[in-house]
Amino acid sequence: MKQIITLNINNQNYDVVVTPMDLLVDVIRKTVGLTGTKKGCGQGDCGACTVLIDGKPELSCIKLAVASVGKKITTIEGIANEDGTLHPIQDAFLDHGAVQCGFCTPGMILSAKALVDRNPNPTQKEIKTAISGNTCRCTGYINIIEAIESYANSVAEKEAK
Amino acid sequence: MNILSNFQYHAPKTKAEVLELLADIGDRSKMLAGGTDLIIMLKEKMIETENIINIGDVEELAGIKFTDEGVEIGACTKIADIENSTELVKDYNALVHAAGELGSYQVRTMATLGGNISHSSPAGETPTPLAALNASVVIESKRGTRVVKAEDFILGNRKNVLEKDEMLTKFVIPAPAANSATVYGYIGLRNAMEIDAVNMAVNVELEADKKTVKSVKLVMGSVSPKPIVSEAVPALLVGKELNEDLVEKIGEAAMSEAKPISDIRASAEYRKDVVGALARRLTKEAYELAMEA
Amino acid sequence: MGKMYEVANRYNNYRDYTKEFTEVGRSIRRPDGPDKVKGSVRYTDDLTLPRMVYGKLLRSKHAHANIVKIDYSKALELEGVLAVITGEDCPIPYGIVPHNANEHALAVGKVRNWGEPVAAVAATTEEIAEKALELIEVEYEVLEALVDPREAVKRDDVRIHEDSPNNICYEGIQIYGDPEKALAEADYVLEQDYYSSYVNHGFIEPQSALADFNVATGKLHLYATCQVPHYTHQQLAKVLEMPLNKIRITVPLIGGGFGGKGVASQADFCASILSRKIGRPVKITYERSEVFATNNGRHPCYMKMKLGFDKTGKITACDFTNLMDGGAYAGWGIVVLFYTASMVHIPYMIPNVRFDGKRIYTNKPTCGAFRGLGGVQPRFAMEQMLDQAAAHFGMDPYEIRMLNAAESGYTAMSKMYIPHTEYKKCLTECVEKSGYKEKHGKLPFGKGIGLSGGYYISGTSYTLYLSYKPHTVATIKVDEENDVTVYCGATDIGQGVDMVMAQMAAETLGVKTEDVTVIPRDTSVSTFDLGTFASRLTFATGWAIRQAAEKINAELKPVAAGMLGIRGDEVEVQGGEFYNIYKPKQRVPWREVVSSYIQTNGPLSMTGQFTPPRRKGIQQGGNIGHSPTFGFSAQIAEVDVDLETGKINVVKITEAGDCGVAINPQSVEGQVHGSIQMGMGQALYEEMKIAPDGTFLNPSFHDYKLPTALDMPEIDANIVDAYDPSAPYGAKESGEGPIQPTIPAIFNAVYDAIGVRFTEMPLTPEKVLNAIKEQKAKGVF
Repeated sequence: MKQIITLNINNQNYDVVVTPMDLLVDVIRKTVGLTGTKKGCGQGDCGACTVLIDGKPELSCIKLAVASVGKKITTIEGIANEDGTLHPIQDAFLDHGAVQCGFCTPGMILSAKALVDRNPNPTQKEIKTAISGNTCRCTGYINIIEAIESYANSVAEKEAK
Repeated sequence: MNILSNFQYHAPKTKAEVLELLADIGDRSKMLAGGTDLIIMLKEKMIETENIINIGDVEELAGIKFTDEGVEIGACTKIADIENSTELVKDYNALVHAAGELGSYQVRTMATLGGNISHSSPAGETPTPLAALNASVVIESKRGTRVVKAEDFILGNRKNVLEKDEMLTKFVIPAPAANSATVYGYIGLRNAMEIDAVNMAVNVELEADKKTVKSVKLVMGSVSPKPIVSEAVPALLVGKELNEDLVEKIGEAAMSEAKPISDIRASAEYRKDVVGALARRLTKEAYELAMEA
Repeated sequence: MGKMYEVANRYNNYRDYTKEFTEVGRSIRRPDGPDKVKGSVRYTDDLTLPRMVYGKLLRSKHAHANIVKIDYSKALELEGVLAVITGEDCPIPYGIVPHNANEHALAVGKVRNWGEPVAAVAATTEEIAEKALELIEVEYEVLEALVDPREAVKRDDVRIHEDSPNNICYEGIQIYGDPEKALAEADYVLEQDYYSSYVNHGFIEPQSALADFNVATGKLHLYATCQVPHYTHQQLAKVLEMPLNKIRITVPLIGGGFGGKGVASQADFCASILSRKIGRPVKITYERSEVFATNNGRHPCYMKMKLGFDKTGKITACDFTNLMDGGAYAGWGIVVLFYTASMVHIPYMIPNVRFDGKRIYTNKPTCGAFRGLGGVQPRFAMEQMLDQAAAHFGMDPYEIRMLNAAESGYTAMSKMYIPHTEYKKCLTECVEKSGYKEKHGKLPFGKGIGLSGGYYISGTSYTLYLSYKPHTVATIKVDEENDVTVYCGATDIGQGVDMVMAQMAAETLGVKTEDVTVIPRDTSVSTFDLGTFASRLTFATGWAIRQAAEKINAELKPVAAGMLGIRGDEVEVQGGEFYNIYKPKQRVPWREVVSSYIQTNGPLSMTGQFTPPRRKGIQQGGNIGHSPTFGFSAQIAEVDVDLETGKINVVKITEAGDCGVAINPQSVEGQVHGSIQMGMGQALYEEMKIAPDGTFLNPSFHDYKLPTALDMPEIDANIVDAYDPSAPYGAKESGEGPIQPTIPAIFNAVYDAIGVRFTEMPLTPEKVLNAIKEQKAKGVF
């Protein structure tokens, strides 16, 4: 039953031994060791396990690892710049006080980044919709929404130039 | 529980391969498209299966294609692709709206239109607008192809017309009739991530005078094991112009047809009340949009 | 050592302090932020140790049953299974309140709620551990389950705990003044029943414990999601029968607590016992359903409140009867019971008060500490009754609150003393900002606006066991290698206390916050702290840190003075430099002074402490609720009611809070936003649902509904201008006060919208629609 598959995570190939039953979140966290992807509910409700698959946010706790072969997987560890400095969306989260306990933060940032990647001028409603599957219990979302708005504005400004 | 029980994994690349597999092991298999329902059911040990056939990567099963008669949507088209489609929104807004209310955005990037109706949950979001839009469901197997109406696809709670060797391959939705409009609405506790207490889609078609109702199709979800297409509402409305009195009667008629249950999400009585509210609102909304269409 | 200055605990001498701050009051970025946004920070479940194995708990499907037999022989035969334990391996009970400790790591003889663990397995993989659970055979004798405290209290024939007749966990009566007489003489008496609902914290990080028992040294090292490492430390020592000094608890970052991680979890004990048994590290991480089975959430209360008023609208008496649903075990129960008693004494002046409370056992997951505990329930009742009374007297709801609001220096009948309050300012500011007076009673049917106030303690005056030791100790080390290092056992559960402590240390030491390192809590490294509860940290750590920092300054200032060639009492420090207060251009860098000090005097570290004043209440349980000071909040909710479906949309909340000086205003804002989200969730839809047989119906985020981003109202959060002279840097709590007004503000707004008073949470669309239908039938609209 065990097989070796290759997962491309954050532009790096990982050859991992899995069974078909293994969930992507467990392979990312336990086998590859990228623990930035979190498990909050295990049923696809809280969004803490969000990763990007070919740029789109998906829930790694209800995704089979074998079904992720051949796709580009991005976890929170793949968002910061190569040199370790923060990506502007990460800066925006810190500047706006959008982080408290931090447990929802990786999934939240990935959902938000995917939104702005596909829609650099999101409305407030679109921002809220994009993160409505990422549960945060600390912040009441207000500062998170502000952070995403500010990041989107900076992207839009850059594009205008 | 975290751990899935043992199964064999199959990842066909073409429709022909899928049909071949289904003919062979369809009676011992579950189809995996987005997995947003299936994996949870496996995790919760609600089901077990010997085989999983992942059709999520079969490219020919996905995509939105406009034709002279309307639009064809592949079974494996992601819900998010429907939600984000700038072309669909013009004529098939009810479906786009329902797609946008299904689960979270992450769920929508994973889940597929075929999966949502094949899961055949009474609370499914897309079966009601599909039925209201007069969609047909194309079902294929090695034995051949058949077509059923969207409202005839679901038979009951998690039961549908698919035989063990069959799969749903695409939806065919006709172009909307002249002077018509279809709208969708739902009621749940929250503004997102809801398992609907009730959902509904209404398609109103007017005569050339843009006042008289030529046809109306009101479909309610989550109020019986399968979507209900109202018979009483057309009987009330066809051949008439909508007025406040009729709106009230439409609400009552829809309520009389709904057969909801009480569960932890809502009581049957409340679901009936909301059926009335949605029927009134959505019929009015569709009627007004049809006047402008 | 040149001790020029006598440095004492200046708690009682606070008026000397300056109100001008440079580090306090800055909305700096959280020092733990970069690692959080990069996903590189490690929470407990992210940790692994060499040879680590996995543990899982087998949980009961019955809510009330005797355990006849447990046979785990088949589980032990499964390859990869290393050990199985049951209640026999952990017979010693524990509990955070020692004289009422009746919990077990694994059920002993009997289960008392759905999901109570009966056995634990350690295995080489999670998969094997889970399979092993299926092989354990448990024979139960199912007993009648009691899920309603109103029934449980009458059913002495079904005792959930043999030693608790009528299933009463604890009861108490407090009488202050002569409430009976006052009510008899009152001009207006209002009496009403209320029910507050059964809700869970919903923190996103499930409990996790990683235990590493070193058989060679006999020492246990536990990494755990724990808000109160000190109390967990004590209970581990008790249950494992180990000396405290052989146990070390490290608390990695915590993914939200809100009180729910304020007790030791069964994972903590089981991982430790399993690790000791097999000599390998064992990790147990809960699934979401296990978090619900563990609960420790808010106590549902069946309350009867009676308020008497004189003819001017002043409250003359309060008679408060409270039947609390405690769930299966004691937990924090006694404390919460008497908090509900104390919470009616403030923020309004009430000269006569009677409390009659019982906490009842039921076959439900245990209730415990949840943000704003003991306050949310009576506040829900009283703030609605104030609106009703205002209507009776023809007053504005704002005016009746202003009339009754306590002011700084007030001593309540229960002897609770308010050194400082700006509650009236809170009321006025949010009334003005929201346009309340122009809107209240004047909006179209279906739209409404509601006001409520609230307060919370800013610490406790007593430990949970009899002890006179300091509640918080902080040590500051100053050296050339690290500048400033702060050691304190206060636990950051996401609220940002590490940052707040760094800001306070930097303020007194005259350095930048960014040059201060706070060492995360670890019982063998950190200095003593009771834990994260009762909104105690800003106040308690603030005094301890301030004292330690002043002792450091007392050492450094003479050295700086020598270097500047001036008198020691002419030196001040700020911005990383010591300077002559009379000739500010005369400066010497802080680091040079530190180097000089260490070269001549040797290493420098100082310890400060905080012990709250004891203002002993004279009655049973009356000491609970006493706090060095209190935080206040007022809120105004604006709602839109869908008249056809009963759905309530909270459109806007305007808040004004008195947290004294905000150490970090952005963090205060974050606490307010989060409190409002939680309060709104409880007001509208959050609820744990239990079947009559005790089965938990919705132990998932699928059906336990937390507000999403799309559900949030607009929030206008304001910090009123305030300085609490009794508080370090003038600062007090902001984490639990702001949840107090949210629920009654929404209920008052719904009344304003549709003219119906609701007395039970949550306000589901169904209840609202039924009420609207009744209003319609009455011809109201």
